[in-house]
Amino acid sequence: MNLIDRVIAHPGRMVVPLMGFPGTQLTHSTIWQNEFNARMQFETIAALVDRFKPDAAFFMMDLAVEAGAIGLPVVFPQNESPTVKHHPVHTIADLDQFRAIDVLYDGRVRTYISVMEQMAAALDIIKGAYVIGPFTLAGLMMGATELAIATIERRDLVHAAATLATEVIIPYGQALVAAGADTVCILEPTATFISPHAFDEFSGHYVRQIFEALDTIGILHICGDTQHLIEPMCATGAQGLSLDAPLDFPAAIAQMPEDVVLIGNLDPVRVMTNGSPAEVRAATHKLLEDMAPYPNFILSTGCDLPPETPLDNIAAFMEAGRAT
Amino acid sequence: MDPILEAMREDVLDGDQESVEDNVQAALAADIPAGTILTEGLIAAMREVGELFEEGEYFVPEMLIAARAMKGGLQLLKPHLVAADVQPAGRIIAGTVQGDLHDIGKNLVCMMLEGAGFEIIDLGTDVPPEKFVEAAQHEQADIIAMSALLTTTMPNMKHVISALETAELRQSVKVIVGGAPVTQTFAESIGADGYAPDASRATALAQSLLGLA
Ligand code: B12
Repeated sequence: MNLIDRVIAHPGRMVVPLMGFPGTQLTHSTIWQNEFNARMQFETIAALVDRFKPDAAFFMMDLAVEAGAIGLPVVFPQNESPTVKHHPVHTIADLDQFRAIDVLYDGRVRTYISVMEQMAAALDIIKGAYVIGPFTLAGLMMGATELAIATIERRDLVHAAATLATEVIIPYGQALVAAGADTVCILEPTATFISPHAFDEFSGHYVRQIFEALDTIGILHICGDTQHLIEPMCATGAQGLSLDAPLDFPAAIAQMPEDVVLIGNLDPVRVMTNGSPAEVRAATHKLLEDMAPYPNFILSTGCDLPPETPLDNIAAFMEAGRAT
Repeated sequence: MDPILEAMREDVLDGDQESVEDNVQAALAADIPAGTILTEGLIAAMREVGELFEEGEYFVPEMLIAARAMKGGLQLLKPHLVAADVQPAGRIIAGTVQGDLHDIGKNLVCMMLEGAGFEIIDLGTDVPPEKFVEAAQHEQADIIAMSALLTTTMPNMKHVISALETAELRQSVKVIVGGAPVTQTFAESIGADGYAPDASRATALAQSLLGLA
């Protein structure tokens, strides 16, 4: 079933906070443990589902899985997200070092596939997986500033990197769908700062190919201020757009076709992490009220919740979301 | 305006570094004073780039290549500025704080500051407090500019300020901070001298702190 049909068929608003890391408070684990141990991560996600009863659950957001699998140097702090610190790609020839790699043999890729298998076997809500976006993976290969400049001066290099990224993301996404993912969400943060035209050429074009290759509900997530990208994001064939706190949601949804679902956008840091439960409740009510005229909306957070998000705030968010 | 400077302005807006450099040479050959080339050619163009960015006409890539073109011209102009005794507006040490790898915003701020005539010492990303202190000791900077995009790395700005105090350097240098989660209130709470929400206002801030605006 399409996302829009599921959303409309759902009694009341769907409520889906983007949470993974805060679950480490429930399983008393480190982020690092969850990134390497599939059983651990499954238990963390299951604990969150059990505690908060959301309408969908995603596994942990990890922008370094695909990057590590193709051989980019990833660093793993104990209790923060892993990241890529050095960016070895400067020419098209530099991409050759990655071509021989079958990412499905990578240990952490297998970890996430296994998490999804366990979620599919145990959870009776919508199960979601994340993959990195092609432009964002290109940014990890090349460095974001160099990539930005290359979108104007070395377009062939950007296309070559994004094409390779797409070839990596598709088999991983397919394996996640085979493992039981009901939806795959593409994370494309690095595309926030390019023009709509550049987005279409360097990100949207490849995102569309990925959605076409995956037999699943495709969602596109971009953090930051993406007001200028709404139209080209909708043109990727995404069934849902998961967008961030800087956006004026009523204005954003007014630009979208009625069969694309808008997902968001409580501020993950200012409200969900630093606010009180009363502030979370007030902000949630306000958002629900603003979005009341629109059926194609899922109540969520603008981005992934930080590990230290107070569990009482997540509870307040769920409670306020259910009260409609 | 002189047609050479007008052409230079267009080149910067187009991000055409070679052409900027050619026009800087042409302007020097035409005996336009180096200080005039800098303020009426290069700096004026970067101010316009900043405006186009704020208006949503330009995006990050356009701004980066414009800034690089400007920098090419500036490089050629430098010896002439020195000869004419035109001082940089000030020296600024910049970096993204420890634990944080986001650098696009910091790079834009650096380039706009450079475009406004400041000299920049860019320490890059993931910069530990000791590095800031060491640079402050050796570079005789007027300002330290720190960027943070993660709430988890914002406290490291405070650590840099404390390290400057310990090294007895805090009095001799101004500290400015920025990045998406940083606010004026936060800047005040850690004892920074200023905050700006974007690159063009960062330039105005640096100028006002040094009494230039
Ligand atoms: C692109 C991006 C990335 C890229 C970074 C590429 C790069 N080399 O920079 C990648 C994909 C690598 C990345 C990684 C991560 N990111 Co990130 N990222 C972003 C995103 C989408 C855009 C940032 C950006 O470049 N904006 C464009 C520039 C131009 O804007 P800017 O940086 O704000 O700078 C302007 C002003 O702030 C100001 N300014 C900036 N610095 C300074 C300094 C001074 C002195 C002054 C005066 C002004 C000033 O002027 C600039 C120009 O106008 C933001 C979303 C957002 N809302 O900002 C998330 C965001 C910053 N990332 C976030 C997170 C959580 C992460 C990760 C932990 C992700 C993960 N789960 O794996 C990692 C951490 C990596 C690390 N250790 O640093 C969160 C941070 C949440 C928080 N507040 O703690 C954000 C806010 C997304 C979100 N909504 O949750 N990210």
